[in-house]
Amino acid sequence: MAKAYHPLRIILALMVILVLILMDHLHSPTFRFNSGQGNVQTTLSQRDQSACAPCGAPCPSARE
Amino acid sequence: MNQATNAPAETALALWHIDRFVVLTALAGLAVLGGLIWLETAPFMVALFALGALLGVALYHGAFGFTAGWRNLVVHKRGAGMRAQLLLFGVTSIIMVPLLALGKDGMVGALAPVGTSLVVGSFIFGVGMQLGGGCGSGTLFSVGAGNLRMVVTLVFFITGAVLGSIHLPWWLDQPGYDPIPLVRSFGVSGAVLLQLAALGLLTLWVNRVERRAHGQVQREEWLWRNRQHGFFRTLISGRWPFVWAIVILALGNVLTLLISGAPWSIVFAFNVWGAKAAQAIGVNMSQFEFWQWSYPAMALHDSVLANTTSVMNFGLLLGAMLAAGLANRFNAASRQAMGKRPLLAAVIGGLLLGYGARLGFGCNIGALFSGIASASLHAWVWFACAFTGSLIGIRLRPWFRLPN
Repeated sequence: MAKAYHPLRIILALMVILVLILMDHLHSPTFRFNSGQGNVQTTLSQRDQSACAPCGAPCPSARE
Repeated sequence: MNQATNAPAETALALWHIDRFVVLTALAGLAVLGGLIWLETAPFMVALFALGALLGVALYHGAFGFTAGWRNLVVHKRGAGMRAQLLLFGVTSIIMVPLLALGKDGMVGALAPVGTSLVVGSFIFGVGMQLGGGCGSGTLFSVGAGNLRMVVTLVFFITGAVLGSIHLPWWLDQPGYDPIPLVRSFGVSGAVLLQLAALGLLTLWVNRVERRAHGQVQREEWLWRNRQHGFFRTLISGRWPFVWAIVILALGNVLTLLISGAPWSIVFAFNVWGAKAAQAIGVNMSQFEFWQWSYPAMALHDSVLANTTSVMNFGLLLGAMLAAGLANRFNAASRQAMGKRPLLAAVIGGLLLGYGARLGFGCNIGALFSGIASASLHAWVWFACAFTGSLIGIRLRPWFRLPN
């Protein structure tokens, strides 16, 4: 069966995604924390227990 | 004699093609990203990444599409896919509801408010499922398997999710109630039994629909073996019987809860990716109320590698890519040129999926699957409204030249 894709395009697409992830990470508090900078709040240990939904939305009763 | 005996086996092996390039690329991607997550975050995030990959393989090899399952029932009156979903919900809730009731510190279920936002959002999502060609998990694993139309759907899914996040506060101000956990009214056993009874009744209805149309019910969801191939080949290259996928997806969601403290979800990551993209082109997302709430604000501010949902989605994409390579079917769905109307359906469907998922507090995974597994009333409302929306989406499909 003939290939339905161009291998180079696959590699290129994945590389672009990896670069975007790296750019995002290098500008993040997690990276700063890992680099030894203190007093940085990262999401790794954060959980909003007071939220009313998984996305962090507040309860309807709290908005009245 | 020996040659004659070995011939069928050799023929079978010769026909078993694996796309080595795709398999090696997917494995390399898993290794690189897994290594990065290991270095920069914590071991539990690597576990979630690997779990995401496994779920991607299970979704692809099990062909576990919620959208097609619903459509097969409505159009072709075949209920195996739908019954497999109901079985998945039942098995997972038997494990997860008692687990959540233990009240372990830091462990939360997929609970969400019941109100206007949920009803409108899940209905819109249902329409979008049929036009976009997939739900949250379906879109993601199809993209991982190289489906180009689903890439379009995903891009607009993300766009719709960002728009939904901007509007969600307004929708939350419309009539609605705080989350209603069934455990609070019925206790743990009562909630599980009530849900199993509801799932049982739905199964009977699905059976009735199929029997009336075909005279009998095909019990494909109970098959343990692939009739065409042996165990090893089926495990590596698919197609997995539904039961295998059900076991992996159920255990995968339970493990996600145990490792991350919350059940499996998908769409929140789309919100984060879209908001980060908007920020990159100069939009200040922090001006919108949604992105001022504690959890979204933190996720927007921090690395995607530190976001549980994003990490699992990355794993899922690569897992599906790996599975498609092992099945020698990577990008197979994109062989034919995409027409204008199917493309338009992907755009509209994607927007509806994203907007609907944000208003409906998640997709078929975060709101429906994890919601029922958490015994939350909102999941049942989501199910009913999304299915109703799906009926309309199915009727719209022919206009967009999408096969039913």
